[in-house]
Amino acid sequence: MIYVENLRKEFKKTIKEPGLKGSLKSFIKPKKEIVAAVKDISFDVQEGEILGFIGPNGAGKSTVIKMLTGILSPTSGKCTINGKDPQKDRKTYVKEIGVVFGQRTQLWWDLPLTETYTVLKEIYEVDDSRFKKRMGFLNEVLELDSFINSPVRTLSLGQRMRADIAASLLHSPKVLFLDEPTIGLDVVVKDNIRKAIAKINEEEHTTVVLTTHDLEDIELLSKRIVMIDKGSKVFDGKITDLKEKYGQMRELAFVSPDENALNVLGYGEKFGLSDDDLIQEQDGTSCKIRFNSAIVPVSDMLSYTLSKINVKDINVKDADIEEIIRRLYKEGVE
Amino acid sequence: MFREILRALKMHRIFIVQELKRFTEYKGDFLTGAVGLLLAQLCNIVFISVIFGQIPELMGWKYNEVMFIYGFSLIPKALDHLFFDNLWSVGYFIVRKGDFDKYLTRPINPLFHVMAEKFQVDAFGEMVIGIILLSCSLPSIEVEWGIGKVLLVIVAIIFASFIYTGIKIGTASIAFWTKRSGNITFMFYMVNDFVKYPIDIYNNVVRSVLTYIIPFAFTSYFPALYFLTGENPLFNIGMTIVVALIVMTIGVLIWNRGIKAYESAGS
Repeated sequence: MIYVENLRKEFKKTIKEPGLKGSLKSFIKPKKEIVAAVKDISFDVQEGEILGFIGPNGAGKSTVIKMLTGILSPTSGKCTINGKDPQKDRKTYVKEIGVVFGQRTQLWWDLPLTETYTVLKEIYEVDDSRFKKRMGFLNEVLELDSFINSPVRTLSLGQRMRADIAASLLHSPKVLFLDEPTIGLDVVVKDNIRKAIAKINEEEHTTVVLTTHDLEDIELLSKRIVMIDKGSKVFDGKITDLKEKYGQMRELAFVSPDENALNVLGYGEKFGLSDDDLIQEQDGTSCKIRFNSAIVPVSDMLSYTLSKINVKDINVKDADIEEIIRRLYKEGVE
Repeated sequence: MFREILRALKMHRIFIVQELKRFTEYKGDFLTGAVGLLLAQLCNIVFISVIFGQIPELMGWKYNEVMFIYGFSLIPKALDHLFFDNLWSVGYFIVRKGDFDKYLTRPINPLFHVMAEKFQVDAFGEMVIGIILLSCSLPSIEVEWGIGKVLLVIVAIIFASFIYTGIKIGTASIAFWTKRSGNITFMFYMVNDFVKYPIDIYNNVVRSVLTYIIPFAFTSYFPALYFLTGENPLFNIGMTIVVALIVMTIGVLIWNRGIKAYESAGS
């Protein structure tokens, strides 16, 4: 469905020295520098798949999405979606995709929400009977009924996001691009939106590419993720693989009356763990130790701890995906 | 091709209807805008009347003739203002804030979409003054009118408004590279004030600029000259059409190159 090959985007950036003097200097003689926001990324997405596209702020996620949706022209490389080139076949291509940028809206700000849909119906040339059916479906999935007659400017962020997603789906696109669809929403609304996306994907087999900061989005929606950092791909695969590969961190938590417990234990020296493989916290009597179980087996860690100090309560937990991502980001940065 | 034109017209109508609905939400704002423009023009007219109270004629131009040119200049300007005002926003913020993304993800021509999306009802203020001036000055100007001449007026006005639109497209497109170009459009528009008056009252430099560089003279003086004197229709009307086509073509060429340089904005 989506094939991305060595996609690259460079921006010309003017370097300014700080202050008014710097600005004036750059105005008279601008110093230009070429910055690669996306560096030769390749991946592909199967039809009907939900792909989670993640990475820290400024990693180039949005730039990739903008190239895939035909907004930006790539500096080099190419992407083919549904057999089309987003730039060359723009007009026919955009009829087959839906795009939502969480930070922006495509709704008619001053008018009741229904007016947006009637205009989009004309823009995408959806005929009357299909429009009616479609609105019925979207109403059901995204629950637009309660605010469909209110002016868009009066909608809450959650309502607006639902309305925007509905707007992007009106013409039954084959591919849906969602850039931060849950940004700034509360837990309940997030949950509704995730369910709606899952339902649309299931019922219509729509391919979905979504970028997000919220790892719960990814865990609940997509089986596969592509992670990028500083413009390069750092991981591409199933979430379960990610957990296997990087998920060797375990969390050991215990309560000990000994306030000097961590010093007495000295895990770092005992097991030869570096700062990356060992994170220790102590808050009064409770201690939290995150360690790499690939280096120190959980059983060794436990028996050593129990033999060394007096422990009241102890448990070991799997690292959650956030911890994994944190580690991955860190690796990317170093 | 034919189908595309029909579709464009239909879409334009739909956008205008959307805008009219919007005005019903903000009646006060719209009224203030139209009255504001009306007052601005009235002040200028009072000013001209005061001057002509002191002098009988200006470089051979009589009060009525000056009023005719003034009135004529307002109509193409108002037409462009009415239909294609959104180009100002392109130069000031649509590109800079990355809002142009929206137009690129829709299956209609982005230039058409962005131009047609706004319907600036304020422009009726200018339009009304223009029509009043024309109809008041006409009876005292000795010209013969026929169907042909009326048609020519309409053609001239339409092409004259394309000169405005073309200049706006070209200058707004600069924002694709510089992020903000509204002030460049504004600069061009400031020059526009000259052509409310017969341009032969200015020196050579001003006249050449208005004819060859920023050809606003073709939006008022030259076509009006034909209607006032009946002379030289080939140049006065013909060149208006040619200049409009040239300005429009340059504008669209810059636009097409600009779109490729569009960089969106971070989100």
